[in-house]
This record gives sequence, C-alpha cells and structure tokens, in this order.
Amino acid sequence: MKAFADKLFLNIFHIQAADSPYLALWYVLMMFLVSFILLNFAALFAGIASYVERRIAARMQNRIGPNLVGPQGILQWLADGLKMFLKEDLVPQTADKFIFRLAPYFVFAGLFGAFVALPFGYGIVAADLNVGIYYILAITSLVVVGIISGGWSSNSKWALFGALRSAAQIISYEIPTGLSLMLVVMLAGSLSTQSIIESQGGWPWEWFVFHSPFTLAGFFIFFISSLAEGNRVPFDLPEAESELVSGFNTEYSGLRFLIYPMAEWANLWVVGAMVTLTYLGGWQIPGVRLETIPSSVLLFLISITIFFIKTLAVVFIVIQLRWTLPRVRVDQMTLICWTYLVPIALICLIGTMIWMLAFPWKSVFGTAIRILMSTVGGSVMIWCMLRARHNYVIDKDRFEKLKGIPAWYPPWKLP
Amino acid sequence: MKNPAKVNEAIRHLKPQAAPFEEEMSLNFGPQHPSTHGVLNFLVVTDGEVMHQALPNIGYLHRGIEKLAEMTPYSGFMPYTDRVDYLAAMFANQVFAMAVESLAEIEVPKRAEYLRVIVCELNRIASHFIATGALALDLGAVTPFVQWLREREFINDIMEALCGARLTYNYMRIGGVSVDMPGDLPDKILRFLDHFEPIIDEYNRLISNNEIFVKRLADVAVISPIDAVNFGLVGPNLRASGIGIDLRKTLGYSVYPDFDFEVPLGKGFRGALGDAYDRYMVRILEMTQSCRIIRQALEKIPGGEYRANVKKKLKVEENEVYSRVESARGEMGVYLISDGTDRPYRLKIKTGSFTAMSIVEKASQGLMVADLIALIGSLDVVAPEVDR
Amino acid sequence: MVSAMETAVNPSVRSAVRKYFKNIYQLFYSILEGMAVTFSYLFRRPITIQYPYKLDKPMDEIIPDRFRGILGVDLRYCIACRLCQTTCPIACIAIDLERNPETKERFITRFDIDISKCMFCGLCVEVCSTGTLHHSKIFDGTSRHVENLVLEFVNTPVRPFIKPKSIEDIPVDRSGAITRNKLKDFFDLPKFRLTDEA
Repeated sequence: MKAFADKLFLNIFHIQAADSPYLALWYVLMMFLVSFILLNFAALFAGIASYVERRIAARMQNRIGPNLVGPQGILQWLADGLKMFLKEDLVPQTADKFIFRLAPYFVFAGLFGAFVALPFGYGIVAADLNVGIYYILAITSLVVVGIISGGWSSNSKWALFGALRSAAQIISYEIPTGLSLMLVVMLAGSLSTQSIIESQGGWPWEWFVFHSPFTLAGFFIFFISSLAEGNRVPFDLPEAESELVSGFNTEYSGLRFLIYPMAEWANLWVVGAMVTLTYLGGWQIPGVRLETIPSSVLLFLISITIFFIKTLAVVFIVIQLRWTLPRVRVDQMTLICWTYLVPIALICLIGTMIWMLAFPWKSVFGTAIRILMSTVGGSVMIWCMLRARHNYVIDKDRFEKLKGIPAWYPPWKLP
Repeated sequence: MKNPAKVNEAIRHLKPQAAPFEEEMSLNFGPQHPSTHGVLNFLVVTDGEVMHQALPNIGYLHRGIEKLAEMTPYSGFMPYTDRVDYLAAMFANQVFAMAVESLAEIEVPKRAEYLRVIVCELNRIASHFIATGALALDLGAVTPFVQWLREREFINDIMEALCGARLTYNYMRIGGVSVDMPGDLPDKILRFLDHFEPIIDEYNRLISNNEIFVKRLADVAVISPIDAVNFGLVGPNLRASGIGIDLRKTLGYSVYPDFDFEVPLGKGFRGALGDAYDRYMVRILEMTQSCRIIRQALEKIPGGEYRANVKKKLKVEENEVYSRVESARGEMGVYLISDGTDRPYRLKIKTGSFTAMSIVEKASQGLMVADLIALIGSLDVVAPEVDR
Repeated sequence: MVSAMETAVNPSVRSAVRKYFKNIYQLFYSILEGMAVTFSYLFRRPITIQYPYKLDKPMDEIIPDRFRGILGVDLRYCIACRLCQTTCPIACIAIDLERNPETKERFITRFDIDISKCMFCGLCVEVCSTGTLHHSKIFDGTSRHVENLVLEFVNTPVRPFIKPKSIEDIPVDRSGAITRNKLKDFFDLPKFRLTDEA
C-alpha cells in the first residue's frame, strides 16, 4: 500500500514522496481514501448479500423473494436499511445505557477492521501486514466483545443467554481456527495474506486444500469454525431466533440493531475471502505465475475476478448451508469443538509437518497425491450435482401432472 | 404464578431432591416467544442453559367453545368445532357429528362415511406437515417447513375445491357431509398422492436423516411407555412410546375396518424408545399410511346418497354419549348430554394436546432451554386445542 | 500388521473409535444429501404467486366454484323465508319485513349481513332454497372502519319473490358484482394485474 501511495504521488506531483514535506499528510489522505473505499465495499457487500441471500433462500423454499423495490427488488436492502435508519433508537429503561450504546461500535470496528488485511487480487490489499492472518483473527474477535456487552447491558434474560452462548462459542472456536490456520502458515512459511496466496498455484492440485489428507481435514475444520465464529447456521446459537427470541440483539432497535445483521453479512465476505486465500489458491490464475511475469492490467483484472468468483462460491455454500441445516444445541456446539475439531486439528498439524518432510511440494508422490485428491474432491462435487438432478427428475413429471405447468425454472430466469 | 419467588418456593417443596440453587431465575417462555406454536406460556425455572423445571400455564386461549355449544342448535355448532383444532378441523367435525348421530340414532350413508375418511386422512397429512415442519423450524431449519407448506397448499386446494374453505372446513353435517365430491376431485387427489409420496423420501433426505437434526432429537425428552400411559398421552405421542393404540384399529369406527393399513410405532429409531425423534418419525410414517388409506378409499367408494335425511330442527331425547375419533393429535372425544331440546345440555371435548401439555412438566426436568422447544414441537401441541 | 493392531485394541475402544469416525461420515453424508435437495429447488418452479401484482389467470379462475367468499344477496329472488337468519349460528344476518297497512303487501326493508362477524360457514347458503343468498368469490374485504363491513343489501324496500312452480333454476347473479358494490372501501384496494407471459 505504501509503495502504491508513493507511486501515485510520483505520478501526480512528479516528485518522490519521500522528498516532499507533505509526506505525512499524503499518507493520512491515502489512508482515509482507502478506508473509505473499504468501508463502502463492506457495507455495499453486506447490503447486497442480504438481498441475494433472501432471493436464494426464497428459491430454495419454492418462493420468489423480495422483488418489488426497484427492478427485481434489487433495492430492497436499501429500503430495509432506510427503514431501520428511520426507526426510533430505543434504549431499555433498565439497561446499562452507556454499554448498550457502545456495544454496536465494537461489532462494527471488529468486523470492518478485518477488511484491511484481506486481499482482493494480485497486489491489491490495503495493508499487506506481515502478521495478516493473525491480525484478522484478532480483530474479528472484537465482535464478541460487542455481542457480550450488548447482551449483558440489555438487562434482559434472553439477551443474556445469547451473550453467554456467544462467549462460550467464540472462546471454543478460536482454538480450531488458529490451529487449522497454522497448517497454512507452515506450508507457506508466512503470515502475510499475499505470500500465502503466492505459495499456492492456480490449478486445484496446487491449492493447499488438496496438499494432503491432513490439509483437507484442516480446510473443513477452518470452514466449520469460521461459520461458528460468524454466528452462521448451524452455529447461530447467540441469535437462535426460535430459542432465544432474538438472542443478544433482542432489545436493540433502529440503527443500532442494523449494525448486527450488517456485520453478520459483511462477515460472509470475510469468511469467504479467508477460506479462499488460505486453502483455495486465492487469486492465482491457472498456468500463470504472476510474480514472474511483468504486470499488466488484464492479468490484474483476471486475478480479481478469480478471487471474487472463489469467494462468492464459498459465500453461496455458506448461504446454502444456512437454509439447509438445523441449529446445533449449545452443549453439542462445544462438544463438536472439543472432541472433534481440536483433536483432529492437532493431529493434522503434526501430520502436515511429517508430510512436508516426507513428500516435498515438488516431489512426484506429493504431486500425485495432490492430483488424486483434487480428482476426488471434484467427483464429490459432481456426485452432489447428480444427486440434485436426481431429486429434480423424480418430481418433474409428477409435478407437471399435478400443476399442469413445466417444472423447469432455472435460477437465471427471474420471476 | 405472578410472584416468581413464590413459584420457586413451591417448586422446591415439590422437588426436595434437587439441590437448592441460589441463583435460580424464572423465565417467561411465551406467549410472545417465536416457537410456542400460538399462545402457550411456560414458566421456566433455570440458572442457565439447563432448566430445572418448565411449568405450562394453561388457559391463555380459552374461548368457551364448550359453553357456546349449550346455546347453539346441534346443526349450528358444527362451524365452532372447526375452531377447536384449526390444523385438523375435520376430526372435530367428525367426532361431533358422530356424537349427535349416535344420540339421535341417525344412519349415515356409506358414501358419506367414505368421504369423511378421505378428507380426514388428507387432513391428518396436512396436520402432520405442520407438526413435523414446525419442529424442524423450531430447531432452526426453515426450508423443510416451507417445503411442507407447499405440499399442504395442494391439500388446501383440494379441500377448497371440495367444500370451499381452506382451513375451517365445516364440511361434515349431522348425518353425512355437506356436499358430494366434484367429479374431477378423485383424480386430483390421486395426482397429489403420486406427487407427494416421493416427496416424503426427499424430505427425509433433507432433514429427517440429517445428523444434526437427529442429534438434536434422539434421546431427548424420553417418555417411557409407563409414563405415557400414566399421563394419558394419546395418538402419535403414545404410539411413539411403543404402545399401539390407534382408535382406527382398536375401535374401528366409521369404515376404517375396510382398509388395510399399519399403525407405525416408535421403536427407538435413532435413540431411546419414546424420545423426541420417535415422536417425529411416527408422524412421518403415518403420512404414508394415510396415503394408503386414501388410495383404498378412492377405489372402494360406493355411490349413492351422501347425506341422510335429518330434520332441520333436530331435537334429541334425554340421553348421553361419548364418541371418539383418532385425530391427528390422538384421541379426540366428545361427551354429549342432551335434554330433549334442540341444543346440547352439556358438551365436553377431550383433546390430545391437553394431555400432551400435562407431561411437559415431568419430561422437561433437566432438559436444556433448547430442548424444551424440541419437546413442545415433538408433542405437537396446538394452543387452541389445549384450552378450547 | 493392521489386523494385529486391531486385535490388540480393546473391543470397546475399537467400537468407540469406529463410532467416532462413523459420526463424522454420517454428518458429512447427510449434509451433502440435504444440500443436494435444496440445490435442486433452485431449478424448480416457485409455487407462490405474486398476488395481487402478477397473476397468470384472473383471480376468479384461480378460485374454485365452491369457494366460500363474502356473502352476496340477489334480492330479486329472495322469498323472505328468513331461514338464513335463523340458521346463522352467530346471528350476523338481519332481515326486516314490513307490511304495508293499506295494501297488505309485504316488503323486505332490511337485509343486512355483518361480514365482520360472519365466519363463512355456509350454513345459511345451504338452507336458501332459491339460491338468492350465495357465496361470492370475493375475499378481500379489508376496510378502514368496521361499520363499513355491514353490507346493506336493501336500498329501497322490495317485494319478496314468489317462486313459480315451473322454474327449476333461478338465474341468480353469482358474479360477485352485488357484493363488490356493497363493500364500501373496495376501491381503495390494490387492483389485479395480469402478467404478460400468461
């Protein structure tokens, strides 16, 4: 980022930034600009993700979803946000008013701070921190401070339940998250998000997820515990609408309430991007080593597109999981963590160490295993598609007989 | 009930073996809670996630339907019976009609009995949709519930084409049914059944076999066969505990002896006998049996009258009767005393949800708050049926 | 070597280990099956319709003929037998008859139906021998004031209909036009719109 700012300064003012007396001012200006862009990106993504999720969920449930505000309802999220904005900001009389007001800021800061270290394409990252991964882990943990203080200060029993569940959940799931990230860090030899991506490749067998059986398990552990940290189904215990009314945000209203769901949807991107950059090869273009060839705008754009597609695919999986699965119970949540995720993550850590020594990245056996595993992964996906097709074929004729209208209605055909 | 401290005192007295918890709090679970299926209220005594006790508070939805019966002519009470259990209105229709028929000694035409069976079994399927779907909804899975709502919509369409209403049917009359089937309805029902039967498998793949779902329900709130009998559980809740009492078989009322069907029993499908998953699974299996009954009924249905000749102003001699049917929520009975006028002297409705509520207090001991909703959902309690 | 290890391990431990991995396998398998179901629904037709904005057919064609909608009275054929009034379990029908003192002729001066009370049970329609009291297909009777829901079918007193023996089918207007005119707030409601692709 610093290099980019220097270069921009040189291009605009035709002097080296380091020589200029306004260096500090320029950096501050650039910081504001970048954070403005990132904030807007996150907020826009959260808004549009809420709309897209509702449309996808609707189609999974034989419904149409919001389609009245704007063409195909694309402005629904704006309308919802505006409505929330205009609502009265109620603070319960018996609440701890200061903390109650403060709590959403923690959530906001924690979630949006993570965007600083997330890459978007080759060389496109606000701050390529050398502790990038752990910075993201640490700053997203701030969210739980907001949730706990919000739930506690509401002075409502249901909100307190939600807050305490959240505390248990985040504390448990930090450990498998950290352990499964350790695999990647070991493989890449770096904590920086960019260099983790650079040490992977464009083809599926060059991704870390298919490096060895251990990293495959690590991938799932990381994915599951990211879901848990983001309070998504099946781990949405802190909110648990049908159990705890609305969990920690029961007493919130108006803009302060809006922060919570917005952070949850922005978190979708964080989860997707983290999974993509650590295990799924990030922005790597198949067959091209970006760091060895001269940079060009086209390659930049392709790398951004690849990163976006991968991230959105993960986001789609997360959304689909939410609309498929029931919620786990609170004791099962900790049980999953401590009897499955943590021991397996530890085994994977040791296993990967041994694997790295036994079968180096470029060795024949290692490559063969990687190709084999990516084939298996692809076949599982194809099997899933065939099962989906099977479900469709069974019902097709009978549905058409029943309703007298064709059953085929692909998602791109918007109702 | 108003003073939590007093309630805590009362519970301590009731349960001396429980260790005294100083930090106990009482929590109002409902009536505005999202998963109380209407207007139920529980007083949950807890000091955290694990409940010490959940006390059902019955009487939130009392509408005095039984009293209304004393002021309404026999034929005029039929629309009110729809409101006893709005998810399975046909059974209340049928049980009231049967009670008056046996009092007034009215012979019901065979065709009417077959029509009653068909609509009742369709209604049973529709009711189990809500029972099993809402259970999944309470556990956080929204999609299965909406899938079932879609299937239920087809049944509603059938009912609407048959009698003009989608929920409060008021289809049956004393001495038969109000209207005959339209000519295209049997075909419509068959097409629905053809579509629906594979959907059960799909639904099982979607949620019933889902490991998280199974783990949430298996071994939760186990009701032993002895408890089930002692607390007077009826219907699927009783059968889930392994006791095969189904009035369609044991009593053989209406034309049910004509049909070949099985009564699914709980056998500890994924856990202990009589757990929440058994209660859920028994309902899913019952849907298949209902499909079988409907298919046979549509095949065997005789022609002829659909309604016996009954005087418009029906007067019944002094007598009393108890008639019962196997509703979607178990035995539904009407105890009817007549005094020679055109309206009942006294009418008492016995419902399955009421007895199901009685076991909540016992079965909920030591459960978690999240399990309480699984318990209520698996018992398939419908709030208006509890209080009538 | 593997079998030697297996025999060495305590069977209870072995079954526990097997259960541990079976749990993981079942979890993943059932989740994938469930996701295959939800994914297939992305390619199936949504079942809901966009009432009242997008309809494939007019509402009258969607609703079956036996639909028990808001009651309508075609007063031309009312014989003033008052059976509907006595049958109604909640007494939401009010009929007044007056006799002209000079000509001794009877007139229906009032035929009110309180839709806000009506529970659409259809008992009144069943007893009506001429079919003058009928269910229309109208169900959207929302109103800003509850008194607007009392439908007054008599504007000027009318003579009761005398049913000729020869006529079997009485041509009652069942289109719902009568009821719709009586619903005072009806014209505030959103209008139907048909889709182009229908």
